[in-house]
Amino acid sequence: MKRDQRMEIRIGGTGGQGLILSGKMLAEALSSMGRRVAQSQTYEPTSRGGFCNSDLVVTEGEVDYPLTSALDCLVLLDRMAVAPSWALLKTGALVIADTRLCPETPAGDCSVHQLPLTRTAIELGSERVANIVALGALAVLTGICDRGALERAVRANTPKSFLDINLDALAEGYRLGEQTHRAAATAA
Amino acid sequence: MNAIETAPAASMQLISGNHACALGAIAAGCRFFAGYPITPSSEIAERLSRGLPEVDGVFVQMEDEIASIAAVIGASMGGVKAMTATSGPGFSLKQENLGYAAGAEIPCVIVNVMRGGPSTGMPTRPAQGDIMQARWGSHGDYPIIALAPASVREIYTETIRAFDLSETLRTPVVLLYDQVIAQLTETVELGDAGARGRAAAAERKWASGPRESYRPYAVDEDGIPAMSRPGAGYRVHTTGLNHAEDGFPTQNPEAVARNLGRLLAKFERHRDLIDSWQALACEDAEVVIVSIGISARAAIRAVAMCRARGVRAGLFRPVTLWPFPQAALREATAGARAVLVPELNAGQLSLEVQRILGDRPVDAIHRYNGEPITPAEIAERASSLIDTTGAGSAKAPGVRRAR
Amino acid sequence: MSATTMLDSAAEFDVRDYLRAEMMPHFLCPGCGHGIALRALLWAVHELAIDKDRLAVVSGIGCAGRLSAYIDASTFHVTHGRPIAYATGLALARPDLHVIVITGDGDCLAIGGNHLIHACRRNLKLTCLMLNNEVYGMTGGQVSPTTSETRVTSTTPLGNSEPHFNACALAAAAGAGFVGREVTHHVPKLKELIKAGLAHPGFAFVEVMTDCTEIFGRKNEMGSSAEMVLRQKSELRPSAYRDTVDMPFAAKDLPTGILARNDRPEYGEAYRRAAVAIKSAADNPAAGRKSRQ
Repeated sequence: MKRDQRMEIRIGGTGGQGLILSGKMLAEALSSMGRRVAQSQTYEPTSRGGFCNSDLVVTEGEVDYPLTSALDCLVLLDRMAVAPSWALLKTGALVIADTRLCPETPAGDCSVHQLPLTRTAIELGSERVANIVALGALAVLTGICDRGALERAVRANTPKSFLDINLDALAEGYRLGEQTHRAAATAA
Repeated sequence: MNAIETAPAASMQLISGNHACALGAIAAGCRFFAGYPITPSSEIAERLSRGLPEVDGVFVQMEDEIASIAAVIGASMGGVKAMTATSGPGFSLKQENLGYAAGAEIPCVIVNVMRGGPSTGMPTRPAQGDIMQARWGSHGDYPIIALAPASVREIYTETIRAFDLSETLRTPVVLLYDQVIAQLTETVELGDAGARGRAAAAERKWASGPRESYRPYAVDEDGIPAMSRPGAGYRVHTTGLNHAEDGFPTQNPEAVARNLGRLLAKFERHRDLIDSWQALACEDAEVVIVSIGISARAAIRAVAMCRARGVRAGLFRPVTLWPFPQAALREATAGARAVLVPELNAGQLSLEVQRILGDRPVDAIHRYNGEPITPAEIAERASSLIDTTGAGSAKAPGVRRAR
Repeated sequence: MSATTMLDSAAEFDVRDYLRAEMMPHFLCPGCGHGIALRALLWAVHELAIDKDRLAVVSGIGCAGRLSAYIDASTFHVTHGRPIAYATGLALARPDLHVIVITGDGDCLAIGGNHLIHACRRNLKLTCLMLNNEVYGMTGGQVSPTTSETRVTSTTPLGNSEPHFNACALAAAAGAGFVGREVTHHVPKLKELIKAGLAHPGFAFVEVMTDCTEIFGRKNEMGSSAEMVLRQKSELRPSAYRDTVDMPFAAKDLPTGILARNDRPEYGEAYRRAAVAIKSAADNPAAGRKSRQ
């Protein structure tokens, strides 16, 4: 990234999906790589349910305005996140949408990847790790983050009883992302 | 002065605004916190419930908002640096006792994380609607200091400054910031700030000398009465009733006027300590944006956007909001043809700016729908003021209503 | 420590040793019972040899709230209804002080009722002296939460039809470590009760039945102050311990003495013990995690 370059990422869905936590994990990983990060959230006053967006602004230099207004990357873990986010997408932005909870996205000048994030999480044993699967896929497809840094951030923010499943979820996310990456390269 | 500190440094931390407030409080010497849960400020209490006992301080969750500020003032009367934190509804409830602290000159820090209002409003959405309440919320005439940080790092440094001002000047200090900055997580470096904070940590002026000659509200040149610590042998009376220099209630008009007059003027000779602002690119600015908090963060980007398209914009950001740094505002806007105040309310900061600038046109973007104002919106509005403002014929003040 | 604070508890009690002479004459009405309560309090302080320099008195608004100004100690006259909350902060921040709250029935049970019940629950070491004269005296004699049924006040011109609080039952039900009631008619007994409250290691609630002769008595044709004090006697139900919890709105009858007592852990001590655990967890993160599981 160039010093004045700015990257905006949103992980959107509903409250209770762990979106703010996964945003914080990514922020921590990027921060440990020397990036400047601003992580914010918009949510409704309920702990579970309601819309929830976890946003990251990543720069090499200072972050002047810490909120998103032109998204480079959008992860959709619920269709609820489409409406408030779609208009913010930059031309050519990367969109990762969950096949189960956000099967359809509007037309737009962006590259949309439908990935089985929650299905993979359920197969791993808990729908609650879909946020971590998404994180792995996001890291591969944006190329923004080192795997080692991200893994350390996930470890640091996971209670012991969830550590194994979270690390599996991260690995599965990487696998999904790499598959998609190869398919896209072949198609091109 | 007081630019938003963003230079990269060796030891970076990723923390939220509310977390930074808790760290700043401990660095400033805060050893007592009483609070009541309220979104979006509760993280401060949560942090301090663990952080204070680690430094032999006390955390207590009280039964309501009023009890929280009462306990904080009680602890401070005991000689311990104390803080509470709340949001709009709780800030309203605390006002009577905030007036007590101002009138009896008991140091304390009150954090108000602003959310949508009025009433319960929008608990998780940002607003800047408590600017006037911070100044005028309690009854009667009293002085107050309010600080308005705009970044996570600045929340840390301004929390420390809030304690220093509060202790030095024997006054309640309000720390006022919006939900976005409170729950924003930013990369910050606190090493230097921490060291500076500790070095600067102010101590209250304590009474010394014999009890017989001590008068609790008598002052010397600095206008700040020395406080007595319970247990130190002075055995004085503290009251919210109007009092004379001896601390006892009085209705003697001269005694009341003398003490209250001194109280109301006590900040004037300390403005060098109190005033703080950021003037960004104002020297040659044709349009000056005046803003605080998240709106000011948008304005920083808007200034760059304006300048990229040839509009010479600048930003004036009061870091000390009350008393307003009015001389600095006049100076920063002296050469400007237009002034623009973007804020998340129906017109509070713009009212003060208009008061200070008198007849000069002051335009504003007022929004109260829970959405922050974007850099593009500010840049567009600022540019339009210059486009339509012919040489010497400034556009009449107009107010854009919220969408 | 000055000579005046070195009082031997065996020394004879002279109330003037504990009063601020410069504040005399006091502002209480002739016949007011509050002065008797103040004297009993200071007598108890004397007998327990509490150092005036370590004594902090916090009071609210109303006639009772004004008493703190007369006491030669660190005194804090705070906002209406909030003295318990101020005292909570003071006592938690300064466990070396002996903190006493002086409050009235309106201050303590109406505007400050929430603080009372939570202080009873929390059980921080404080002594709360509530002077119950059944009326808002300072504001001109309005009905209060303890005004007896049928009494005439300036806001119940045809007689009070609201039931009154039994403050001691309320405090006991909320878990106060020490609850007692006495009347100003029995000064030595009142002093003994306050002494027991001051010595209690947790939150102590002491209700003092005191007469408002000028405002309440006059409106209800209760006679002279002497007659009012004597009437206290006829309404007394001298008793030892009894369970007052079952009768929060009982018709006027006055069980006196120590009415409830328990030895629940004192909050300040409990907090400081927990703080040591938090501190050692911070010093040794591995141990801390273990203890939290």
